[in-house]
Amino acid sequence: MKTLADLKKIREKAQEEMKLRGGKVRVKIVVGMGTSGIAMGAREVMKTFLEEISNRNLTDVLVTQTGEKGLSSLEPVVDIIEEGKAAVTYGNMTPDKVRKVVVEHIVNGRVVSEYVVATGS
Amino acid sequence: MQDISLHLLDIIENSVRARARNIKLRVINSPRDNRLRLIVEDDGTGMDQETLAQAQDPFYTSKVERIKKVGLGIPLFKQNAELSAGTFHIASEPGFGTVISVEFPLDHIDRMPLGNLKATLLGAIIGHPEVDYSIFLHYQKPCKEQFFHFETAAIKEELGEIPLTYPDVIEYIDQSLTEGIQNTNMEDV
Repeated sequence: MKTLADLKKIREKAQEEMKLRGGKVRVKIVVGMGTSGIAMGAREVMKTFLEEISNRNLTDVLVTQTGEKGLSSLEPVVDIIEEGKAAVTYGNMTPDKVRKVVVEHIVNGRVVSEYVVATGS
Repeated sequence: MQDISLHLLDIIENSVRARARNIKLRVINSPRDNRLRLIVEDDGTGMDQETLAQAQDPFYTSKVERIKKVGLGIPLFKQNAELSAGTFHIASEPGFGTVISVEFPLDHIDRMPLGNLKATLLGAIIGHPEVDYSIFLHYQKPCKEQFFHFETAAIKEELGEIPLTYPDVIEYIDQSLTEGIQNTNMEDV
């Protein structure tokens, strides 16, 4: 059984880490979670991002969900936002593509151009 | 949508878009009453009677930024409930929020499965850190009842400035939800 005491330990560990690297968020991931996105598999895309963050222990990444933006035919859609860089939008995402984007783009900093459907904004 | 928990995610996203800060979710798996019930209550902007009627119409959406003016989320959920002899109710009040209550006969052959409830809840909790969730899962048998209660506000308070996307926190929430879902027999409904 998980208790709030477990959270206290997590917090202490996270605070130590933040002291070392300044606690900055390096990458923000935004998963489109409108009706058509959900129908096309956005929940599994979100789930895979969370699994990868947890398994790879990525402590400087944030993930959020958002509504639709009129890219219905390209759902599931994901934005990757890094400070000082143009935002990259990936389309027709699947759990496998998510794993590739995490390794290539988020960990190694190379955009996976074959999945990109838009940049900027 | 292939399962009920995907509809639930869609409903939660509606609440978030209506600027809800607190979302109460109740899922009741009741072999005792042969019912699977879901209740979602938010404190978002709410809808007046006209908008509420339109929300149940497939050719209406509140998403002004969209060119394609259809909103299928609520009508599809309603249809899927009614196709398996279930019921769908929505009540709303501008300035107070919205309550959606959906009921399915548990043993109906056309009822959709509940599906991956954990993936829906985990995504919604971590993907919307600005929202406080109050989650109740309830299993009712004639001779036995099981409950699971999960409050995200308590977790955030304990974590302070540490984000919910911190790896150990994801794992913590994931495991808590897994236990709760197992204890209330919601894995394979």
